[in-house]
Amino acid sequence: MNELLLAVIFSPLVAGFLAWLFNVKGIREGIGVIGALIPLIGLIKLYPSLGQGVSYTITVGGFKLGFMMSHLNWIFSMIAAVVGVSAILGMVSTAKDGYEWLFALMSLTGALGIFTAQDLVVFFIFWEIMTFASFMMVLKFNRAASLKYFLLSIMGAYAMLVAIGLIYAKTGSFSFSDISAFFGKEAVSTMLGGTPAFSKLDVALIYLLFLLAFGVKAGMFPLHVWAPDAYSETDQSYTAIFSGVLSKAGVYGFILLYILMYGKLLIDLGQVRSAPAFGYVIAFLGGLTIIVGGILAALQEDIRRLFAYSSISQVGYILVGLGIGTSLGIEAAIYHAISHALFKGLFFLIVATLIYRTGKTEFKDFGGLAEKMPFTFTMAFIAILSLAGIPPLVGFASKWLIFEAVISQNLPILGGMVFFGSAIGFVYLIRFTYAVWFGQRPSDIEDTKDAPLPLAIGMAILGTLNVVFGVAPGIIAKELNAIFGRTVIGGNIWELELGFGRYNALLVTIWLVIGLLIAGILYFLGASTRKVPVTDTYQSGNPVTMDYNLTIRRNFFLPLKEAVAFWLRISFDKLYRDVWKSIEDFAETARNYIYNGNVQAYAWYLAIILLILAAMGV
Amino acid sequence: MLRVIVNAILILLYATFVGFMFMGIIRKVTARVHRRIGPPIYQPIIDTIKLFGKKENVTHGVIFDFGIVFALGATILALMFIPLGSISVLRAYGDLILITFLLEIPMLGIMFAAMSSGNPYAGIGAQRALLTLLAIQVPLGFAIVALAEYYGTFSTYEIVMAQQVHGWSIFHLPLLLAAIAYDIVLQAMFGKEPFDIMIAPGEISLGPMVEFGGKYLGILQVQHAIGLFAETLFFSNIFLGGAVITTFSSPILNTLATLGVLLIKQLAVLFVAILISTIFPRFTIDQAAKFYWKWPTIIAALGAILASL
Repeated sequence: MNELLLAVIFSPLVAGFLAWLFNVKGIREGIGVIGALIPLIGLIKLYPSLGQGVSYTITVGGFKLGFMMSHLNWIFSMIAAVVGVSAILGMVSTAKDGYEWLFALMSLTGALGIFTAQDLVVFFIFWEIMTFASFMMVLKFNRAASLKYFLLSIMGAYAMLVAIGLIYAKTGSFSFSDISAFFGKEAVSTMLGGTPAFSKLDVALIYLLFLLAFGVKAGMFPLHVWAPDAYSETDQSYTAIFSGVLSKAGVYGFILLYILMYGKLLIDLGQVRSAPAFGYVIAFLGGLTIIVGGILAALQEDIRRLFAYSSISQVGYILVGLGIGTSLGIEAAIYHAISHALFKGLFFLIVATLIYRTGKTEFKDFGGLAEKMPFTFTMAFIAILSLAGIPPLVGFASKWLIFEAVISQNLPILGGMVFFGSAIGFVYLIRFTYAVWFGQRPSDIEDTKDAPLPLAIGMAILGTLNVVFGVAPGIIAKELNAIFGRTVIGGNIWELELGFGRYNALLVTIWLVIGLLIAGILYFLGASTRKVPVTDTYQSGNPVTMDYNLTIRRNFFLPLKEAVAFWLRISFDKLYRDVWKSIEDFAETARNYIYNGNVQAYAWYLAIILLILAAMGV
Repeated sequence: MLRVIVNAILILLYATFVGFMFMGIIRKVTARVHRRIGPPIYQPIIDTIKLFGKKENVTHGVIFDFGIVFALGATILALMFIPLGSISVLRAYGDLILITFLLEIPMLGIMFAAMSSGNPYAGIGAQRALLTLLAIQVPLGFAIVALAEYYGTFSTYEIVMAQQVHGWSIFHLPLLLAAIAYDIVLQAMFGKEPFDIMIAPGEISLGPMVEFGGKYLGILQVQHAIGLFAETLFFSNIFLGGAVITTFSSPILNTLATLGVLLIKQLAVLFVAILISTIFPRFTIDQAAKFYWKWPTIIAALGAILASL
């Protein structure tokens, strides 16, 4: 049974290598899909034995690499496996060679390894595998974007390495359970007035280093600047994994931080109102992430960048939920992580379909595709309802939980932020809907076909899950309760019950259907309808032909841009670029002055070193 | 089960009728402010019947039809979750956040239908509607947060019941601030001046509504009527104490009294909106966004912070 765990983690990597070796069209696709399916089947098989705890250890290079599977790991691994399978199915249509298969599947292994790691060494190794593989995916498409991503990721990863070093230096262990127990004891001894091994400063430093590490991966403001470029400049089927799964690694990292040192952080860093101070920092940055990501998403002119910023914005919700730090908040955050993976994976597959079929990425080139691609439009409709938080889809259930979790903790400012986020989500999605699906169709995309079969299957999997989990939100809630081992979110399969609020998705569905029936009856009572073409329209009483562009495709939200013009001038992207430029300048200066080509200068360096040695008394 | 169905049908008929009367009252009061006689109060009903009587209707495709049906369906859905005294169908599930979201969904249907027509006026109207939605969401959010934090529950019915004991929400300072902000937001939710930027008759040819005729416009009239009823009812419930009358021994008298009290409160909300709308000219969209992000937000945020102390 436990060997199955190994198969779950490594089968994508092996399949990736095989697909790369047998770089033959047809074979590599088959191997790749099987490689992505094995983790999914394995995880389902592992589910009944979760109660006893599944673990496996291999010894490599003097380190014991431990993997384990509990409820929390299983949920995150399941996100990776489901979105992974759908995205890999999409790649059957969109990937061009074995290179893409190798690194896409490698990053899936990276994510699965992170989610099942039992100690910090395994965690870090797979973190690097994941970063490297996703970097290679972006590198093939755009060098500048990939380097920006790589640099920020590496900074995050080495910040994590330093933090791991600090922890190991004092605890002497890498294992999660040991470290967690150690910090637990520390917290108690601090409370009782003993002298702890970690001072307040140490704890704050470790916290900041981890914040940097996980914040980069999750796309937290102000470390989000890599995401719009990296998400857009790659195979869009792969972006379903990139945004759906890899950003969850950052989220999982924050949860790990909680598991390892919650009590210690709480005692050393204090509280802000009812929330722990360290969590409030995460939540507040999450709130800013929602707002910044949302507004920037509304102002994009490229379909891929819109969804990249939207991804950032939605991760902000997860951070808010995590930040408030109650068990309800954490469950809400994991819930939203699941629904974000489901609808954002779906969105990126839709984008992949659009780009695959039309070859265009900018809003100005699209229009009127709903009639030509009815299946993809239906999927887009589900995804839109889900992301905008329309009951009874899964996006509403998770957002509702976050709202209730935030407000019930008496955090009004964060409450205002998440409310703004829900409206801005609505706003940028309608912009996508309007420009891509409705209105006039440009003549060069007149004979666009609907999605190819593998992409359609991938979309159908995610679309169905969006609806099923939306109508029956209790399925996920039950699994989440298993993490804490007690009932945090009550209710049954159709209903979420928190004590101070309840949401019954089945009733919403039933009454929505009844409402639609009544409206439908009214509709059919009226006289028959006649369909007219898009040019047969009101244009101040003037005749129009297809030569006129009637659909607003550019700068749709100009008034919004003008209203927030002041804030748009503050760009973190520019700041980082300037900082990097000055580092490059400094390197140039150092090179010119130190390696100046003058032999006497080198002799002087030697003399100075000797003098220092003499002064030290050597 | 049968009881639920009968209740639902009665609520729906009542809401539609009262909603149409509200629309008539709006026209009548506006006329009187302008020193005109104005149309009879049942004029919107006649208008709607006429619209359904058109011999031919023009459509732009499946989404054009579906969007309209979806808008009305979602409005009916929202109505069912708002407690109407003690006779609501799903009042146990009338969660504040849920109702706030449900009241926004009809907009999505209208948007979809309008945009699928491909009319540029509809496009610009959709843009304005979305920016209005974005602008009002901040003060609206803070007002809801203030309510939930003050009462410690999200259930609208429980909030109504709490007000029966502790007095109306607007008599508590934090919630008074929230109510003021919400009332300013309501002006935009009703689509009345100075925030009728989305429709903007005379400026952008009715915006999203420009392509609808015949039964499409008729369904939208019904939707507007129910929406008007639902929004005023929600406000009366959460800020003006709602009403659960139990003084009479006969349940029918109690129900009638409840509806009567609620109707007076709803009319009060409506009159404020009408009187403001008759004397203020329209804002431009960027002015509206800046306005909503300034004064109502400050007031509501203050209320929310006071409520959470």
